[in-house]
Amino acid sequence: MKENTAMEQVGSGADRLDSFFTRRGFVKVSGAFVAGMVALGLLPDAAAAAPTSSKGEVDYYATPAHVLKVNRARCTGCQRCEMMCTLKNDGASQPSAARIHVHDGLQFGSDWESCDGLFYSCEWQIRACHMCTTALCQTSCPHAAIVTLEDGTRTVDPEKCVGCGTCVAACPWHMPVVNTETHKSTKCVACGRCAEQCPNGALELIKWENVNHSSGPTRSENKWPYVSEVQDFVGGGKIAQ
Amino acid sequence: MAETSYGWAGWIARVNLTSGDITEESDVEMQKDYIGGMGFANKIMYDEVGPEVDWMDEENKAVLAVGPLTGSGVPLAGRSTWASLSTFTTDHLVVDMHCGGQLGAMLKYSGHDGLIIEGKADKPCYIFIDDDKISIEDASALWGRGTRETTEALCKKHGAECCVAAIGMAGENLLPYACVMNTRSHSAGAGLGAVFGSKNLKAVVVRGTKACHVADPQMVADLSDYMISQVIGSNNNHVVPSTQQSWAEYYDAGSRWTARKGLYWAAAEGGPIETGEPKPFELNTMGYRCMKSTKDMGPAAEKYTVKMAGCHGCPVRCYAQVHVPYVQEKTGYESQGNTCVPGFPFSVYMQPFLKAEGIFEEDGKTLSDLSVNYNMLISATVDDLGLWCNYAQLYRDLAYTYSAGILEKHVPAEQMAQYNFDAIIHGQDPSSFVKILIDIASNDVENKPISLLGHGPIVWAEEWGCMDWFDNAKSALINYRGWPVHHAIECFGQVGGLYNMMFNRDDMIHSAVNFQGCGLPQELKEEMAAEMWGEGAIDMVKNYTKMNEAKAEFAWWSIVTDVLHDSLVLCNWVWPMAMAPAKERSYRGDLDLEAQFYTAVTGQKVTIDDLYKAGERIMTLQRANTVRGMRDKDGNVGCNDLRNIHDVITEWVFEKDPEIEPFTPGTDKMERKDWKKALTMLYKRFGWDEDLGCPTKECLKDLGMDDVAEDLESRGLLTEGGVAFGKRTRTYDHILEKYCGDNPALFA
Repeated sequence: MKENTAMEQVGSGADRLDSFFTRRGFVKVSGAFVAGMVALGLLPDAAAAAPTSSKGEVDYYATPAHVLKVNRARCTGCQRCEMMCTLKNDGASQPSAARIHVHDGLQFGSDWESCDGLFYSCEWQIRACHMCTTALCQTSCPHAAIVTLEDGTRTVDPEKCVGCGTCVAACPWHMPVVNTETHKSTKCVACGRCAEQCPNGALELIKWENVNHSSGPTRSENKWPYVSEVQDFVGGGKIAQ
Repeated sequence: MAETSYGWAGWIARVNLTSGDITEESDVEMQKDYIGGMGFANKIMYDEVGPEVDWMDEENKAVLAVGPLTGSGVPLAGRSTWASLSTFTTDHLVVDMHCGGQLGAMLKYSGHDGLIIEGKADKPCYIFIDDDKISIEDASALWGRGTRETTEALCKKHGAECCVAAIGMAGENLLPYACVMNTRSHSAGAGLGAVFGSKNLKAVVVRGTKACHVADPQMVADLSDYMISQVIGSNNNHVVPSTQQSWAEYYDAGSRWTARKGLYWAAAEGGPIETGEPKPFELNTMGYRCMKSTKDMGPAAEKYTVKMAGCHGCPVRCYAQVHVPYVQEKTGYESQGNTCVPGFPFSVYMQPFLKAEGIFEEDGKTLSDLSVNYNMLISATVDDLGLWCNYAQLYRDLAYTYSAGILEKHVPAEQMAQYNFDAIIHGQDPSSFVKILIDIASNDVENKPISLLGHGPIVWAEEWGCMDWFDNAKSALINYRGWPVHHAIECFGQVGGLYNMMFNRDDMIHSAVNFQGCGLPQELKEEMAAEMWGEGAIDMVKNYTKMNEAKAEFAWWSIVTDVLHDSLVLCNWVWPMAMAPAKERSYRGDLDLEAQFYTAVTGQKVTIDDLYKAGERIMTLQRANTVRGMRDKDGNVGCNDLRNIHDVITEWVFEKDPEIEPFTPGTDKMERKDWKKALTMLYKRFGWDEDLGCPTKECLKDLGMDDVAEDLESRGLLTEGGVAFGKRTRTYDHILEKYCGDNPALFA
C-alpha cells in the first residue's frame, strides 16, 4: 500500500456550512466601501467589489504571512486544537469560541447533506481561517474593530468590538465566532498553537497560499442515507424491524 | 458577576421529573473534599438516597458529575461519572457508571459540574441543557427508537454539536443490563439505562458554549506539552511498541502501542494512511500509536479502518472507526467501532464456548475476516439497543448457557430456531445475533426467557438452578454478588483480587494492570515498583509470593488513584503516569502530574498526597453507603461485615490448577489463609476495621466525615479502632522528581 499523500487538502469546505449559521441573526449594514482607498492603492482591487461598512478605517492591507493547512482524513476528533487555541488566546478552555472548528461537525458533519461525522463517513471538516487577501470580516465590520497586525493577519480589537456578528455573517466560511461569555468576536491570528499539539498532524501552519479553492475531498463520495430519513427503518437502522 | 470559578463551573443542576422543578445549586462546599465526578455523585447519593430505596423507585436518583479538570485542556480529561443504584448486583447498592465521549466536556461547557435527575415523569421525556437554559421536553416521538436514531433526531432539532446521552429499547424496557449511550458508542453501564427508563427519561441533551476557566492557562498548556511529549504512552499507558522498532530499546507483543511501518488506516478518505513508527517527543504522531482496530479485531480489520477516534481532549486515540460492509447491510449503519469489549464480543468471550467455524484462519489463532463481521454486528446492535454486557458477562453467559444445554431447557423451541445457533456455529452466519439481542433487550421474561440473561447471573443462575456457574473459572465471576473479573488475580495476584472486591460492580481499575502490561522488562518494573510502593510489591506473572506490606500499598494506591481519576475526572484507562516511554527519563513516569494540573487549573496548591487522601475519602464514603444498605445473613438492611458478606471472592480462585500448589510457578491461584491476610492488610491501610472491612469512627473522623460516622452510629453500624490516618500514610509527593527534570511546574 502507498502512503496517503494525494489528499493534502486545504480549505474549509465553504459550500457546506451555511445551514449552521442561519439561526444567528446579524446586523445588516449598508455602508459603502471607500472606493477612494482603492484608487489610492491602499486596498487591493478585489476589495473594491466587497461590501463594506468599516467607515474607511481599515488601516492597511497585507497578505497574511501564514495560513493553516488541514487534512481531515488525519483528524481523529480529539478537539485539543480548540482547547489549546483558547487557552493561548483567551486564557480559558472554550471550544465554542475557538478559531478552529472541529466539534460542531464531529458527529454528523458540517451540514445535514454531508453524511459525514462519527455516525456516518467518520470524516468531518476541520474549519480554519482562510486568511483572505480581502478579508470580508474586516471590511464589513461596522465598528472597524478588526485590525491588521504586522504579519498581515487580522485580529479583533475587543475595545471596539460590540459583538454584533456582522463579521460572522460576512465571512464566506463563517469563521469568526462571537464568544458567548465576553460577547466579543474572535478570529484566527495564525499563532499555530492548534497545530503544535495536534496528535495526528492533521494541521499544519504553512506560509500563506490561497486556500480558497480546495483541491482535496471535503465531502464523502459515497453517501450513506440518514437513518432518520429512511422511513422503512422503524427504530434505528434495521435493528428494530 | 460572581468571582470567576477556576476548574469547576461551580453549579449543579437539579431536575425533578415528578414536579418539573429545575433548580441549580452551588457545589463550592464539596469541592475540596469530594473533588467532583465520582466524589460529588457519591456524596449526593449518600446524602439523598437512603438504604430503603430500590433502583426502580421514584426516590432513586441518577447523578452525573464531572470534575475540575474536565474540559480544561488537561490531557485525557474527557470522561464523566454517574452514580445511581445497581440494577443487577446483590441488594442493588450504589454504583458508578463511567463514560467517555463528549458528554463530560459538554456538561462543563454548559456551566455545570453535575446533573441530579430525580423523580419520575408521567410520560416519555428528555432533559435539554442549553447553557443556562434547562428544560424537560416531550420524548413521545422518540420512544421505541434506537440510540442512533434518537441521537440523530435530537441533533437535527437542537443542533449537530449537541451531545445526546440516550437509552435504547433495553432501557425503555427496564432491562437491568441497560446503558446510556453518547457519541454513538460511549456507554455508561451498570443499569443506568434502566434507571432512565424507570423515570420515563429517554435522553439528556447538552449544548455548552461557555468556558472552563483556568487559573494558569500557560501552565496547563506547558504541562500538557510535557506530558504528551515524554510521559504518556499508548492506550493503557503501554510504553513500548508491540513490534521491534529502530528507536525503541524494548518491544512487547502484548502492547497496545500497535503502530508500525506497513500498518495502515487503509480505508482513509483519499487513500491509506500509515500508522508508521510514532516516537516519544513527537507531539504530532501521538494519535497514531494506538492502532486499535487490528489489535482488537485482527488483521482483517485493517482494510475497514477509516481512522481512530475517542473521547474529548484525549491524544490517545483508542476508538477504532470502521466501515464493515456486512454490518452496514445488516444494521443500516455505516460506521462502527469501539475500544475494549465491544470490539471482540464474539471472538474473545463466546468463541471459547461455541467454537464457531471460520473465526480463525487455518493457523488456529489469527482472527479471520469473518470474525470481524461477527464482532462488529454484535457491537453495532448492542450500541443501538443500549444494551450493556456487565464487562462481557452477558456474552459468556449466553455462550455458556447455550453450549451447556441450559438455554434450550428454558427457551421454547420455536425461539431457539429463530436464534439459529446452528448458523452461528456451522453456517458462518452471525445474523441471528440481532434477534437474540433484541429479545434480550425486550425484558419480556415470560414470553422471551432468554431476556433473563440481561438481569445478571445473580438472577438467571438462581432462577435456572445454575449457581455452580459462579464456581466455574470459565465464568470469570469474581464475586458472588454478581460481577466478573476486571483485571483480577491474573494481575499481580492478591493486588488484583483485592481491588475487585471494593465496589458493587466490576472495579474498572487500571492503575495496576497498566503497569503490568506496559511492556518494560520485569527487572526494571520491579525496581520501579520498589520506588513507588516498596520492595516486593510485584511478582512475576503466574509466579506469586505471599502477601506483604508493599502489595497492600500497591492495592491501596491502585484503588485511590482510580477513585481520584473518576473524580477529577481523568481517564484511569491510561492515568496514572507511573511509567513513561522515554529512555531519557529511565522510563519513569511522573506521579505528581495530577496535583500539578489540579493546581494550574484551580489555582489551589495541593500535593499528590492531598489528592490521594481525597480518593481515600471517596472510597470510604462508598463503603459506608454499602454498609448502610447491605443486607446481613438474615436479610436485615444494614450490615457492616463486609469481609464475610461483601468481599467474598469466588471459590474457583482457590481451586483452579488443582495439580499446582499456590505460590509456585505456573499458577495464579490464591491460597485461603493468605487471602484472608491480604484483606486484613488492605483494610488496615484504609484505616477500616481489620476484621469487618467497614469504615471505623476514627477513620471517618480522620477524613472529616463526622456526619457519616453519626449516621452509621445511629444505625448501629459503626465500630471503633482502625489505624489513624497519620500512622498509615506513605508519602508520594515528588518521589520520582529526579527523573522529571523537564517538568515545567518544577521551575514555576
